[in-house]
Amino acid sequence: MTPTTAPSAAPEAVPAVRLDHVGKEFNGSHAVHDLCLDIAPGEFFSLLGPSGCGKTTTLRMIGGFADPTEGAVLLSGEDVTSLPPNKRNVNTVFQSYALFDHLSVADNIAFGLKRKGVPKAEIRERVGAMVDLVQLGGMAERKPRTLSGGQRQRVALARALVNRPAVLLLDEPLAALDLKLRRQMQVELKQIQREVGITFVFVTHDQDEALTMSDRVAVMNGGRVEQCGTPEDVYERPESRFVAAFMGTSNLVGGVFRDGAVHLDGGPALPVGPRPGIAEGSAVDVSIRPEKIWLSDFEPGMPVVNGVIRETVYSGPTTTYLIELAPGVTVAALEQNTARARMEDRWAGGETVELAYDPEHALVLSH
Amino acid sequence: MALRTPVRTERPAPAKNVGGRGRRPRPSAAGARIWTWLTLPGTVWMSVFFIASLLLVAAISFGTTDQLGDPRFGTDLGNLKALADPAYRDVMVRSLGYALLTSVICLLIAYPVAYAVALHAGRFKNALIAAIVVPFFANYLVRMYGWSVLLSDDGPVLQLLRAVGLADDHTKILNTGFGVIAGLVYGFVVFMIIPLYAAMERMDTALIEAGRDLYGGPLRTFLFVTVPATRQGAAAGMVLVFLPAMGDFVSAQFMGGPNQIMIGNLIQDKFFEGQDWPLGSALTMALMAVLLLAMFGYLRRTRKDEAEATR
Amino acid sequence: MNPTAPPPRPRRRRGQRRRPVFAIAVTVVFFVLLYLPIAMVVLFSFNAQKSLTIFKGFSLRWYEAFFHDSVLLGSLGMSLEVSLVAMLGSVVLGVALALGLVRNKGRLGAYAGLIMMVPLITPEIVTGVASLLLFKGLGVTLNSGTVMIAEITFSISYVTVILRSRVAALNPEVEEAAMDLGATRWQALRLVTLPALLPAILASAVLIFALVFDDFVLAYFTTGVDPQPLAVRIYSAIRFGVEPTINAVGTLMLAGSITLIGLALAIPRLFGRRGGLDLISGE
Ligand SMILES: Nc1ncnc2c1ncn2[C@@H]1O[C@H](COP(=O)(O)OP(=O)(O)OP(=O)(O)O)[C@@H](O)[C@H]1O
Ligand SMILES: [Mg+2]
Repeated sequence: MTPTTAPSAAPEAVPAVRLDHVGKEFNGSHAVHDLCLDIAPGEFFSLLGPSGCGKTTTLRMIGGFADPTEGAVLLSGEDVTSLPPNKRNVNTVFQSYALFDHLSVADNIAFGLKRKGVPKAEIRERVGAMVDLVQLGGMAERKPRTLSGGQRQRVALARALVNRPAVLLLDEPLAALDLKLRRQMQVELKQIQREVGITFVFVTHDQDEALTMSDRVAVMNGGRVEQCGTPEDVYERPESRFVAAFMGTSNLVGGVFRDGAVHLDGGPALPVGPRPGIAEGSAVDVSIRPEKIWLSDFEPGMPVVNGVIRETVYSGPTTTYLIELAPGVTVAALEQNTARARMEDRWAGGETVELAYDPEHALVLSH
Repeated sequence: MALRTPVRTERPAPAKNVGGRGRRPRPSAAGARIWTWLTLPGTVWMSVFFIASLLLVAAISFGTTDQLGDPRFGTDLGNLKALADPAYRDVMVRSLGYALLTSVICLLIAYPVAYAVALHAGRFKNALIAAIVVPFFANYLVRMYGWSVLLSDDGPVLQLLRAVGLADDHTKILNTGFGVIAGLVYGFVVFMIIPLYAAMERMDTALIEAGRDLYGGPLRTFLFVTVPATRQGAAAGMVLVFLPAMGDFVSAQFMGGPNQIMIGNLIQDKFFEGQDWPLGSALTMALMAVLLLAMFGYLRRTRKDEAEATR
Repeated sequence: MNPTAPPPRPRRRRGQRRRPVFAIAVTVVFFVLLYLPIAMVVLFSFNAQKSLTIFKGFSLRWYEAFFHDSVLLGSLGMSLEVSLVAMLGSVVLGVALALGLVRNKGRLGAYAGLIMMVPLITPEIVTGVASLLLFKGLGVTLNSGTVMIAEITFSISYVTVILRSRVAALNPEVEEAAMDLGATRWQALRLVTLPALLPAILASAVLIFALVFDDFVLAYFTTGVDPQPLAVRIYSAIRFGVEPTINAVGTLMLAGSITLIGLALAIPRLFGRRGGLDLISGE
């Protein structure tokens, strides 16, 4: 699945959410540090990062559940930093769903509309439409306790969406679901977002989820945004060691940059082409994704290095080889087990092979 | 019983200067002030009607009485000195003895009962524990009165004992120290059963089976496995029985005679018959002091236990 | 039979523990002695004669006597009134205190958490003396109002202890969800938090009603002369000459409080929640 709606963000458009040097301190330590983000209207924006990096805290500051200790939160250009949650045109899907157990599904969904004083007939109509949208027909009168995890998740979503907020905040909404249901809900969620056209700010620590669903992703680490861009940007062109390591598997090899190549310690040099931003003789890391390493059918002009197969890991559609380039320097390479590749074509441990890659795929990250 | 309150120290950090809009404190978006407003009424109420009144008791115990018998504030140490008077001292020692004996007897009763109910009652467990708790909520006086009728000189219990030759015509229960203790035990044994029962429920029954392998006999297993494993429940029960037993005055009145009065009876007397409120207050303070000591000892013990458990 | 074969060992049945005969015997005696005094009161409330030791046939005369005794009826009315007011007052203050206590992480919360524990470890006689001194010190005439205040003071702690663990167990996100959907803090409290706490609130209300109705010591220290709460009347009656009417009153009170405590235990189940006994063991 590829994101079809590119952010319709003309640069001068007012961002749906703007975090302006936002920080949050708990007992003297920063959970979120000097955060600046612009999220365009209609965008599916993900906050991705390891546990404890401040994703929830960021979301809670947008929602109004936590007061930033520094900076300002702007929604559609308006400073809402000191507005309580009920005065913000934002709704949240909580990780625990936070359904009202004493109310029926329909009353849960109607809760926000009732607070706003929407006429009864309109409430009934909108709740009905929402129940259909999230495919909960026939369950409107049940109590949340009697629903399955996936159904409760839909109630939480419907309860937030029915208010037609400018921004919907979702805190790991799929984390409690099993893998299969999660995949299904990912697709549904994305479809719903396209249908209603609401800005989604989506928190997850699952990088697959972030990559498949988002228009843009902000990778967070230790309370800071390490990199922010399209899924392709952050996956293909990580700007830091952390992002490269966090997004999928990546071969990270240390060395010294000289003459358009990275010289590994006691090993071969990996040609990477000219890098204007990198100083001659500086210590760097090279990052190459395992699937970007070729073991056969090289194209002309590709740099080639020799290595020794140390291990072969077969996993269905792909086979991963662990290849030693120099003592202590091992990289992984991924081969598709396509129709053309036969069993006996696979390398065995100890064999010497040639590796090739496109220098463009070798990212050089200075320390 | 949650005797210790976890004290959280986290406080919302003060809002700092935001967006260059001056140093004016910003209203908190999260609006935590409501919790203060909810806490205040109850806290003020308790402070006035409970804490302040206890302080008043302490103050009056240094006071004197005027000619009309009304209490006056003062700095008189006479009441506290009077506590050392043998007449009062004996009553206090007796109360302490009765309350301690009551706790021990409750423990001896509660262990087998809690054991049988917690580990051998099967699906009747909840029903049985409810059957123990429910009468406790029945009126204390009525229960005590029924108990005194039961143990009276020609009541069913003594008649039965006489019939089987365990008692003669002169055996009495009422108007003896034993009678008072019987009353206290009847009144408060449930406070011992509940924590012990809870401790036994938590206990891993595999422990008992292991104990059987290790020590063999059920008695040795009970002594070396069950008792140590439920020690904390027993300690909590001891305190929970000791506190009300020490302050009771109904049992001594219904079950005892003039020679069995307890400190509670003295206090009652000073306030309702003798009209010597300062002395009554001093006695109350003495009672409170004993109880606080017991409480303090208990807390120190559980702290030590916990410290050892985490080592 | 082959003489060299080892004798078959008696097989120990695993998992079937021997019944602890001694413990069960003690338990049986315990239950008999627990209920016998109550049974005596009930039995003699139906005695046809005035005797308190010999049962001479069934009659309802003592119940009749009670319902014609205007003093006792006045006491009953006062006790009901005091219990009702104390129940309402302590539930309102106690629930608010429990909510504030759990969420209030400052010094106020710590102080409140401390002082609400003190009444639970203070014998009633001390509380009684203290209340009496306070009311006298303030120059207040003792009447049903003073009893109510003292009973509320004593009951707040129970309500707070029962509610506190329930409040702590609530998911704070639910309240946030309500605010997220446009509710103010108060609305969130009223529309979401209180309904979630309703079973515990009702159970503690019933429990407090029963406790206050039965309470003697505090009422004794804080009541005026006329009317006096039923428990105080019973006390005087037992102390200064027992009339069989007392058995009838006692039986009615037993029936009342056992019904109420049963109700308190059943309420959480009526709401489809687990258990009710932890209500009591929470003390
Ligand atoms: N109320 C709080 N008090 C103190 N520290 C907090 C509080 N809430 C969060 N933190 C700290 O702030 C940091 C960021 O927490 P946050 O919940 O935002 O992480 P997260 O990225 O959502 O992690 P996860 O993926 O595990 O949900 C953590 O180190 C956490 O311990
Ligand atoms: Mg989180």
